[in-house]
Amino acid sequence: MSRGLRASLRHLTGRDQQPEFRMRRRSPLVTGVQASATIFVILRRMRAPLIILILIFAVSVLGLTLIPGQDANGQPWHMGFFDAFYFMSYTATTIGFGELPYPFTGAQRLWVMGTIYLTVVGWAYAISALLSLLQDRAFRQALALQHFTRKVGRLREPFLLIAGYGQTGEQLGKSFDTLGRRFTVLDIADARIDALEMNTHRADVPGLVGDARDPHNLEIAGLGHPWCEGVLALTDDDEANLAVTMAAALRRPELPVVTRSLSPVVAGRMQTFGDPTVINPFDRFGDHLRLALRSPDVHQLMTWLENGPGAERPARASAPAPGRWIVCGYGRFGRHFTADLRSEGLEVTSVEQHASNPDDDPPSIIGDATDPDVMERADLRTAVGFVAGTENDTTNMSLVAEARRINPGLFVAARQNQPRSAPLFAAMEVDALLVPTDVVAHDAYAQLSTPLLWRFLRELPGRDDEWAAGVVARLTRACGRRLEELWKVRLTLEEAPALVPWLDVGALRLGDLLRSPADRDAPLPLVPLLVLRGDECVLTPGGDFLLAAGDQLLLAGRPAVRRQLETTLVVDALPEYLVTGRRVPSGWVWRRLTGRHPAAPPGLPARSVGRSSGDTRQ
Amino acid sequence: MNLEKVVFGFFVLLAATLNFGFFIGDIDDPVVHNEYELFAAVVVNLVATVLKFGDRTQIGAVHLATSLVADLQLIAATLVWAYATQVSTEGLTASATASVVSLSGGALLANTVSLVLLVVETVSFRRS
Repeated sequence: MSRGLRASLRHLTGRDQQPEFRMRRRSPLVTGVQASATIFVILRRMRAPLIILILIFAVSVLGLTLIPGQDANGQPWHMGFFDAFYFMSYTATTIGFGELPYPFTGAQRLWVMGTIYLTVVGWAYAISALLSLLQDRAFRQALALQHFTRKVGRLREPFLLIAGYGQTGEQLGKSFDTLGRRFTVLDIADARIDALEMNTHRADVPGLVGDARDPHNLEIAGLGHPWCEGVLALTDDDEANLAVTMAAALRRPELPVVTRSLSPVVAGRMQTFGDPTVINPFDRFGDHLRLALRSPDVHQLMTWLENGPGAERPARASAPAPGRWIVCGYGRFGRHFTADLRSEGLEVTSVEQHASNPDDDPPSIIGDATDPDVMERADLRTAVGFVAGTENDTTNMSLVAEARRINPGLFVAARQNQPRSAPLFAAMEVDALLVPTDVVAHDAYAQLSTPLLWRFLRELPGRDDEWAAGVVARLTRACGRRLEELWKVRLTLEEAPALVPWLDVGALRLGDLLRSPADRDAPLPLVPLLVLRGDECVLTPGGDFLLAAGDQLLLAGRPAVRRQLETTLVVDALPEYLVTGRRVPSGWVWRRLTGRHPAAPPGLPARSVGRSSGDTRQ
Repeated sequence: MNLEKVVFGFFVLLAATLNFGFFIGDIDDPVVHNEYELFAAVVVNLVATVLKFGDRTQIGAVHLATSLVADLQLIAATLVWAYATQVSTEGLTASATASVVSLSGGALLANTVSLVLLVVETVSFRRS
């Protein structure tokens, strides 16, 4: 009760405080009772075997002390408790030193014979009870839960909570891991958590088998953890996603939530709780394809950046001339996509086997799309685009093959439903491929990796092709065919102390910042994608862009180049060299000897960062 | 009537009574402190401890703690007794007896706390 009160108090007071301060406060995560559940399970199950063992020992020892024996001289002698316990200890554990201290009499041997069998049975029972406990499913789950709870509780850096670790979750997890981001996983299937353990992530990823609909499981997975920075509900069950969204919105309203749903109704229900981002893969694919038709270069840039670090540059889609499209499969995806195409002003012929409901928007042609007659009626020869969008991969592939046979020049888009069909679709080389799990993964990545990338991607659709082609060319020069990590630089006192004096007087241009610290005539091979100042952003700022304190930069380039830039940010002698070409020693001794100091702007003392002069003067 | 409660109460009470039986008498007189009684007290205390395993309530935890204290004290007493009778050349002297009995006296205190807990638990149990 007091914990709940404290939590709500913290919640109330937390709103007025700095978010960072609140982030770093520790809150009681999972109760101690729950964490020590395992030991209670062991103790409870071991009660009977332990009591039996104690009783067997007690009876055997007592019997030995009562039964009369003889010493070496044949005198009557009673064994003491000490000797009796000693004898029973080595006999019961089957060590068997023999009859000590004197050879036993017949009566003693009779008693010992009985106790030997008793104690062996007692030991065997206790040990087998312990072993079977270790193999017990409930016990192992309790152990795994405790392990997971401890791992999550120890996290001391921002992490994401991924509920549902299917195709999408796995792909996203890989991307975030490459970025060095931490995450915890909650999934209902054992097999997926096992797969998580088999995956080679850079960081340790805690995974729990449990139902995401249970708020308790979410809590254990880190929903209430002060370092939790976002929740992803990516199960294949709409209701579970809704439950996670609700739990996150009620428990931690300030956290960003990303979820997926194919149904607009469920999406609407999700929106009533807080402000989650609901990704509908069909919707997003439609947007993408429309963008690809309108401006293929912008689409190429967007896809490349969304695919995450290490992604190969996607091929530039060649847009077909405006004309008639044929959409096979007029289900949820087909309808969505047809509406998208029609809103672009394109003519669409839709084909579906069954007219589900005659009232609402029937397909243009009713019939089996794989039937040659139906294909004939759709008149593929005069069409420009073809979409195989049924829920069956085999059908989709045969439709694509048939369409290409009739009209080889068609723009072909296909929907891949099962992950195992991926190599076949790859071999078919369709012009656009919808993989719902990929769409969700890429979209969620773009939204959560850095807010700057999301900002950049949102600005993209308004841009023209020429500009986008230029950016793709620059990215290719800076990164090669595979995209490197995108990263963010904040021009603040913490991250860029060396630049602050220059920024305050407005004397630093982006072009100067991106020069090589070794040779200012050589520009660093970096692409500045975006500068965010306050709420305004500038896409691909030019070299004469005047930087100001507090600006945030989104940059792309190789890690080695990133390290060079980071040197510039902290070594206070470098900005002067980059701007003016004047070399200033960075060490105190050399500054004394040469009499040269960094030109500090008026009113601001030169900041000294302890670096040896050698590493900046080469 | 719950058989588990009967067995539990029986062993807790028996542990305390046996302990008391061993403790009572002149503290340094080996004659009035029977080693069989000490043995029985140790065994019954161990059983009582195991019976208290795995109770997750607050009162159960305190129960277990008192039992563990009693075990510790009684085992210490038996160790002193074993040292006096087996290792020491002087045998079970008055001072050794006093050590054994005073250790068991400590165990008696723990067992008394256990008894109080048992009574408190019983009294505070309300029938619905």
